[in-house]
Amino acid sequence: MESAIQQSCFECVLRPDRLFCDLPSDALEAFDLIKSLTLYPRGTILMREGQPARGVFVLCQGRAKLSVCSETGKRLTLRIAGPGEVLGLSASLSSSPYEVTAETLDNAQVAVVKRKDLLHFLRDHREACLQVVHLLSQDLHTAYDRVRSIGLGRSRRSRAPRLH
Amino acid sequence: MRVDRIFCDLPTSALQAFENIKYATAYPKGAVLFVEGQAPRGIFVLCKGRVKLSICATDGKTLILKIAEPGEVLGLSATVSGKPYELTAETIDPCQVNFVKREDFLRFLKDQPDACFKVAEQLSDKYNNACHEVRSLGLSHSAGEKLAKLLLEWSSKNGEAAKQEPRLKMALTHEEIAQMIGTSRETVTRLFADLKKRQIVQSKGSTLVIRNKAALKLIASNN
Repeated sequence: MESAIQQSCFECVLRPDRLFCDLPSDALEAFDLIKSLTLYPRGTILMREGQPARGVFVLCQGRAKLSVCSETGKRLTLRIAGPGEVLGLSASLSSSPYEVTAETLDNAQVAVVKRKDLLHFLRDHREACLQVVHLLSQDLHTAYDRVRSIGLGRSRRSRAPRLH
Repeated sequence: MRVDRIFCDLPTSALQAFENIKYATAYPKGAVLFVEGQAPRGIFVLCKGRVKLSICATDGKTLILKIAEPGEVLGLSATVSGKPYELTAETIDPCQVNFVKREDFLRFLKDQPDACFKVAEQLSDKYNNACHEVRSLGLSHSAGEKLAKLLLEWSSKNGEAAKQEPRLKMALTHEEIAQMIGTSRETVTRLFADLKKRQIVQSKGSTLVIRNKAALKLIASNN
């Protein structure tokens, strides 16, 4: 992570393998203008469940833990998000509070895009909008898997160790 | 009715294109629109009636995720991603449904940016709901807590929330409520009997009156 922070998406060698990032050049150019690249140390809370959605976080490097929390403070890990994933997408689009908390597990490089800028960007670039639809479908798929494993797969006793 | 429905409120050109690819169909109560694990054939736009969305374990245990209302698009994420349907959709009223084949729908999304945006919004809503479900299944202590939460949620939906004693129409059986909160039918019946005994709720025919909202909230908040 000591390496210099990559400024433009055009220079990113990993881009073609990543669902969201693999955009046509005009969309990419527009995206470069609205993103702000930030380095976050390990253990940073990128977004907190229940807070109004300010925008999305594209994980360029590093991983983040997604979790939900009960009123009593018990925490349940949903999954670990890896590089290339876009966090906070559904909350930003529906302008509802973030559904989950995201905490970096490594020192992470993140492209932050404000909600308003993202909405404009998606309206102007239909390829990006289509990618977002694909990403959301995938997120939903994993969320349903999680519902299945929690709600039907295990007994109460055996799923207790998953809490922390 | 189009205006207040997330998906249906489209500009004329998109709506025209949608008209050309949709098949309007009517289903009786109890019809299965699609089954979990099936390869996705397309999407179902619910125009009229309600649909029960559930997932199933290998041992046959069922969990109801949601009762879908008119205006909702079903089978969306599976159709977009090409993965099998994640849920089973079964009508609980006579329903009017617009079906769109997968290839047609994908082409429609590519050609109509407005519709694409609407679909993203719908998916976001569903994701929101799924996270809510994970939270309540994974983090609630007891069936009593989950039932209290469910009753409060229902009472907040139909504009009764502000009232001192909200009333709700019980559209589901105890069995179905059990499947919504991941417990047994017997437990739901026992919990209702207990709530009635403690004068927290009262049933009048198929209407449930919440007599003591504060007590119900207390049960919902921990236990």
